[in-house]
Amino acid sequence: MESVKIKQVLEAYFEGETTLAEEKLLENYFNNEKISDDLLQYQPLFAGLKAAKAERSTRAFHLPEASKQKTIKTWWYGVAAMLVVAFGVGSFFFSQPEYSQEEKEALAAFEKSKQAMLLLSENLNKGTEQLTFVSQFEKTKDKIFE
Amino acid sequence: MEKTEFIALVIPFKDKLYRLAKRILISKDEAEDAVQEVFMKLWNGKQNIENYNNPEAFAITMTKNYCLDRLKSKQASNLKIVHSNYQTSENIEKKIEANDGVEMVFKIMETLPEQQRIVLQLRDVEQFEFSEIAQMLDSNETAIRVALSRARKTVRDAMIKNYNYGIG
Repeated sequence: MESVKIKQVLEAYFEGETTLAEEKLLENYFNNEKISDDLLQYQPLFAGLKAAKAERSTRAFHLPEASKQKTIKTWWYGVAAMLVVAFGVGSFFFSQPEYSQEEKEALAAFEKSKQAMLLLSENLNKGTEQLTFVSQFEKTKDKIFE
Repeated sequence: MEKTEFIALVIPFKDKLYRLAKRILISKDEAEDAVQEVFMKLWNGKQNIENYNNPEAFAITMTKNYCLDRLKSKQASNLKIVHSNYQTSENIEKKIEANDGVEMVFKIMETLPEQQRIVLQLRDVEQFEFSEIAQMLDSNETAIRVALSRARKTVRDAMIKNYNYGIG
């Protein structure tokens, strides 16, 4: 590789005007071939860049399962909350007119005893009506014996 | 997206993220932590990753932002980044001596402003096109070229100074 061309490319390189292909050319020249003495001073730069390329991460990374579990959990919370609400609303609507056997009997007994009470009070009132005659008798008796 | 699918997607650019993080944060441990953190974020937002046409560019932008935030919070809390990259075993010391020039270039790179360091890393190490770098850094190609030229010249000048000093 002629050093004149390398010098030209090197000039452009420091101006930031080289292409990737030209930069590859410089890298190869300074790392492989016999470098002409007046260019030797640039050699460490390209050796350094080559070394920088060879650096590798040595630690394995690990991913938590947490992110997956998290979404499942929140999904479950949603379902659980909906079930509770649905059950609550449902039981409110459906259970209201339902009475158990015992309750039905108690209600029937209550109705019957209410009627019985009414009947009783009616008859009692009839009895008091009859008593007016007694007071009338008292009045007439008073008139006569005065 | 399944875990294996996700890993297959991100593994190819893991080292790139690590190198970028290390270029910004200098410390190896910090860089490894940053990679882990970025992958966690990608994994947690994995529903979105399929929507980005270029997951690699997206991950690089995330890494850059994360590392810069990390630097900022370190400076704010007035903590110096402590790093112990330099192992003391004799073998490795010898290796460093042999690569003295390389070490020197690394040291010079560390002195560059962050933005220049990032551009230099993405172009001269990872060999991305200017258009890609502009997209990753939310900048334009001209600005990238200017920053890159400055970075390369700074490294060159410091290197030549060192080189001549070594000879003379």
